[in-house]
Amino acid sequence: MTRRAPRSDYARIDPAAPDAVSFELNGRVVTAPAGTMLVDAAWAHGIEIPIFCYEARIGAPIGACRMCLVAVDGLRGLTTACSTPVAAEMVVRTDTPEVRAAQDGVLELLLANHPLDCPVCDKGGECPLQDRTFRFGPGRSRFIEPKRHFPKPLELSPVIALDRERCIACFRCVRFSQDVAQDRNLAWQERGPRSQIATETGEPYEGRFTGNVIDLCPVGALTSIPYRFIARPWDVFNAPSVCHLCPVGCNTDLSMREGKLMRVTGRPEPNPAVEEGWLCDRGRFAHGGEAADAPARLKRAILREGSPARASDLEAAVVAAAWRLDTAKAPAVLVGPDATVEEAFLAQELAAGPLGGAPLARLGIPGAALAPLRGLAGAQLGELDAADLVAVVGGDPANQQPVVELRVRKARRRGAAVVVAGPRPTALDAVAEVLRTAPGRLAEAMAALGRLLEAAAAPIVLWDEADLAAEPDAAAALARLVAAHPGARQLELAADVNGAGLRALGIPAEGVLEAALEARVDALLCVHADPLTAPGAARWARALDRVATVVAIATHESPITRRAAVALPALSRYEDEGVLVSMAGRAQRLRPGARPADGAAAGWEILAALGHRLGAPVAHRSSREAFEAAASSRLAFTGLSYASLGVSGQVIGPTPAPPPSGAGAPAEPAGEGLALVAMTEMFGDASAWRAGALAAWRTGAAVSLNPAEAGRLGLVGAARVEVASPEGRCVLPLRIDAALPEGGAFVALGAPGSGAEALLPPDRHAVRVTLTAAA
Amino acid sequence: MPELTLTLRHRRAGAPLRELGDYERAGGYAALKRALANLEADEVLYQLHRSGLRGRGGAGFPMGRKASFLPKDAPLRKYLVCNADESEPGTFKDREIMEMDPFELLEGMALAGYAIGAQRGYIYIRGEYNHHAEVLASAIVQARRGGYLGEEIARSRYSFDITLYRGAGAYICGEETALLESLEGKRGQPRLKPPFPAVAGLYASPTLINNVETLASVPTIIERGADWYAALGTEKSPGTKVFSVSGHVLRPGNYEVVLGETTLRELVFEMAGGLRPGRRFKACWPGGSSVPVLAEQHLDTPLDYESLNAAGTFLGSGGCIVMDDSGCIVRASLRLAHFYRHESCGKCTPCREGTGWLERILQRMVDGEGRMEDLALLEALFGRIGGKCLCALADGAVAPIQSALRLFRDEFVRVVEEGSPRPEPMVEAAVAAGA
Amino acid sequence: MTAAEIRTHIDPMRPEFADQRSLILPALRFAQREKGYLTLDDLEAVAEATDLTPAYVEGVATFYDRLYLRPVGRWVLSVCVTLPCMLRGCDELIDHLCDRLGVPPGGTTEDGLFTLQEAQCLGACDRAPAIQVNAEDMLGPTTPEEADRLLERLREAPAPDAYVR
Repeated sequence: MTRRAPRSDYARIDPAAPDAVSFELNGRVVTAPAGTMLVDAAWAHGIEIPIFCYEARIGAPIGACRMCLVAVDGLRGLTTACSTPVAAEMVVRTDTPEVRAAQDGVLELLLANHPLDCPVCDKGGECPLQDRTFRFGPGRSRFIEPKRHFPKPLELSPVIALDRERCIACFRCVRFSQDVAQDRNLAWQERGPRSQIATETGEPYEGRFTGNVIDLCPVGALTSIPYRFIARPWDVFNAPSVCHLCPVGCNTDLSMREGKLMRVTGRPEPNPAVEEGWLCDRGRFAHGGEAADAPARLKRAILREGSPARASDLEAAVVAAAWRLDTAKAPAVLVGPDATVEEAFLAQELAAGPLGGAPLARLGIPGAALAPLRGLAGAQLGELDAADLVAVVGGDPANQQPVVELRVRKARRRGAAVVVAGPRPTALDAVAEVLRTAPGRLAEAMAALGRLLEAAAAPIVLWDEADLAAEPDAAAALARLVAAHPGARQLELAADVNGAGLRALGIPAEGVLEAALEARVDALLCVHADPLTAPGAARWARALDRVATVVAIATHESPITRRAAVALPALSRYEDEGVLVSMAGRAQRLRPGARPADGAAAGWEILAALGHRLGAPVAHRSSREAFEAAASSRLAFTGLSYASLGVSGQVIGPTPAPPPSGAGAPAEPAGEGLALVAMTEMFGDASAWRAGALAAWRTGAAVSLNPAEAGRLGLVGAARVEVASPEGRCVLPLRIDAALPEGGAFVALGAPGSGAEALLPPDRHAVRVTLTAAA
Repeated sequence: MPELTLTLRHRRAGAPLRELGDYERAGGYAALKRALANLEADEVLYQLHRSGLRGRGGAGFPMGRKASFLPKDAPLRKYLVCNADESEPGTFKDREIMEMDPFELLEGMALAGYAIGAQRGYIYIRGEYNHHAEVLASAIVQARRGGYLGEEIARSRYSFDITLYRGAGAYICGEETALLESLEGKRGQPRLKPPFPAVAGLYASPTLINNVETLASVPTIIERGADWYAALGTEKSPGTKVFSVSGHVLRPGNYEVVLGETTLRELVFEMAGGLRPGRRFKACWPGGSSVPVLAEQHLDTPLDYESLNAAGTFLGSGGCIVMDDSGCIVRASLRLAHFYRHESCGKCTPCREGTGWLERILQRMVDGEGRMEDLALLEALFGRIGGKCLCALADGAVAPIQSALRLFRDEFVRVVEEGSPRPEPMVEAAVAAGA
Repeated sequence: MTAAEIRTHIDPMRPEFADQRSLILPALRFAQREKGYLTLDDLEAVAEATDLTPAYVEGVATFYDRLYLRPVGRWVLSVCVTLPCMLRGCDELIDHLCDRLGVPPGGTTEDGLFTLQEAQCLGACDRAPAIQVNAEDMLGPTTPEEADRLLERLREAPAPDAYVR
């Protein structure tokens, strides 16, 4: 945990790259790749040319703020270093009296109308304008006129406050909205000194990545409403961590004050292979729902011995849980999709040792048909930058793995073609060639996809784990296409946060449910796993009827903690350490950004205590030791340690794949009626529903139909419908959406309490559903 | 004092040339027909180059050179854009050309388009010139009907058409890259250069942008020959130029003169009728409001690019604003500062913040609340604004005020001490009455 | 104005522009003809017709002086206040019109007939002080007496078929 390094905003370059040229900088001969902007080249050589509008990630420089003026031999006057590429033999000075005067001049003009309310400004202390004024600016202001006034602050959205008086018109936020996120809901309005950032009059700033403008703002014009007046930068400690809300694994920075997590921001040093510094609004604003005092947190251990439930202290509850497991005849262990590598590894040790070889499984997709795809050359997200074709096959990354949307849009801006194949309308359709397939018929798109791949030199195929697991014929065809192309690579759009980590530990997705359904399990230990809210929930509910004892290790209250004989409160992902493996196979460290919640303990610690109570020797006294043990015994993690993972992680080794099965044969959906298409809304899952900051944006469960389909089924005008699959049934609000194709029932998953997961089988085999109007 | 009417062709004809037949009878379209029949595109380009014609919008860059910067064998479409966003205070020459000689502009565009290989031209006309846009629109329809625009014009194999695009009130759109932004449907804010429009202009394609007067000069050059045209005027300032004279003169209006052969004194006192009786010449902004001001001692400067540069100013757009000794130089400077603050696009810091600061300092002075240190502050600000921005607007805001302070420092000191009450304006009724 | 009406106007121009975003100014100018100013609904209709976001359209519209985002009078009187017109009495003309109309510069008369607007150079410096009614040809030199006659004439005149600003 450290003080936060100032965000530098310069692009990282390699001065020793093969195409580097030498040029003269303040009298020193230095090198940088030809074409590098002078600001970035100078930064790499330890010289700060001050900037405001320049931000390498947003796009081509615009040269607006005029802060980076430098002297280049042969050019008349001063020139903007942000837009001047390095050339061989160039002679550059950043320290002449003229340059100093220009820097001083721009700062004096920027400050002329900038309010001096730094003492009450959230940006104070980490403000580039403040820092650069200190270093390059005027000692005094000669501006005696009254400053420009705007009513302040303005609520730009429920999460962003806008103070227009502080804005220095660097255009970063607007360019982010227009060019990077392309929501285009933030624009520059008016002209000249009156100009300002604005949304459409009367409308909030809406998008999925809006919070990034807070990180981008070089002054206190755009600030976070949840963080407003909460802490000063010098009061907080920062921990580089990783987001656990989806499998992308965006690198985050957690700010802690007095033991509480105050905010989540993008890293000052972005991870170019993953998120490049961008976060989605869920990743940025959902943390409030995991605070120690958040209503949904499991705050005390719960014991249910016979009836009524009672709260317990953790130690007594661990003893009770150990006794339950010890006395069980047929215990089993279920590991949830966001359990860390350490927790899952300790669960494995527990199952194999003290629990006498108890069956252990992860809650997730078996995906035997995916092995051939996973075995092909993989790509990191950052490599999309160099792709000439990006194919998205199935899924809806904009909602499920949000930052992928930004990386795909960037690839498009850099000239890559984009193709989206699948049954769902997605946000990426706007920048893509769309191969719309009938629900359950992804294979239809393969011929066209093959032609596009053939025409590309370096294509990357993003494929959706759940969709392709449901359609083994499409998975096999796609694997053949990618394998046949020498330059093609693949990247899995995974369903589960740490699915890749659990697979790499060798944890299967099958075995426990099947045993439980056959009454071969009498005690089930659930580690961050709630099978009652996961796909397959209906089957799990039947299975749990036959399980006498459930022990749940969980961060939040949920159906499984309410069903458990012993519920053990675990630290949240913001309080705990551990390793998560992203969908691209990158192992990255969670670091705590909040004090441990009272009454809870780290998941690994609870598992170690259970093992100890069950007679195992104490083997690991920290999560670090647990990870090292995993690394020494699991091939995919060989050679990795907390130290080697550093702050930006390492790609793990290949995961031993089970022999593929079921490949090639089209999977006939089970049941009758419309094909079920599972939908995920970005603000529709439990993490969004728990977060007060996202209250305005959260979306609920629903089933959506094309209007013609609704007409055929006689559902026009129905508000709620009963949806039934061979697996289970639930009642959902009905929505009509002309953008949806016919032939499918589009069911939004994830909303707490909706029961929609009960419609799906645990292996995500395709199903059909019938719909009838509900009372 | 030769007034030579070439570009203001309707004056030679003695009537507006708004009907195609009238224009043809006045010799119109002969140049285009001959060029398309007898000359390769490169030869037309060479003629433009050889004529030495310099851009009449304000920058004075040689048109032929600018056109030759367009890549010859680029696979991209090429565009010709006519800058008809005339908004420079004191300038109204393009207005007269478009209103009276619309076909001359269209013919010039067809010739320039042919020279660079463009199939489409755009006329970006300022929103306020609605009447003039209607005249042009009618001319475009007539020209299409007459076979001078559209497919295979003037019976050649060259196709060229023109789109009239109307601005909506923003001076900055006269800056060529801001104009392109506006034409592309964006806010009219200037672009970073390079790339220059010749390489990546409209829709990132090679684009030639020229002012109305520049393009309207082209038919004469092709008709009479580049050498004939180049022989007019001085070596570096060939041809004729239309000067718009306004302010405290008795006959404000447009005067087309051979460059270098007329002095400022002749333009003001002979052509434009001089001043009211009893008034003395005080100051003149000879090239629109963005150029350094001249004083009485500069009256004998010949009107050409180099001579005006030597006198410390620019020929600019040729909008010559004259002020006699009834006017206050600080008030005049304030009025210009107000203009540039209003028209600053807001992109560059020094211009966005600096133009308003200049205006407020000058306003305080005029209101009698100036401080002596404001003079030093003004001088410091000139250096912090001028030469520090993307486009020339801020330089144009600084130049007239900076030069005024240099030439009329005593008056600035007096205004700081006493303020400056609003003087009596020159009123038409009084002029007519002989006052 | 509806998006459909705007489309009818701009659709024929589409082939003339390689990037359809260029249609935004023609669309805004056309939408303004109906009332003489643009409401938020108009901006949304323009956004729909040009396939842009309302925020973007508003950002472009607010850049230009002659697109009005607040109600203005039937006749917008633009009085040039730039230097050449100042030398010829535009300040006195503005004072006179303020007095006659009972509104400050930028104001609209209560009867909704007139908006008095300070304009930057109208390109009619030879007619200084120049005045422009809506987007008609510039008038001038405008003495206070002529300004009175102009107001008289406009009070009697029927509303224009379309508000070209």
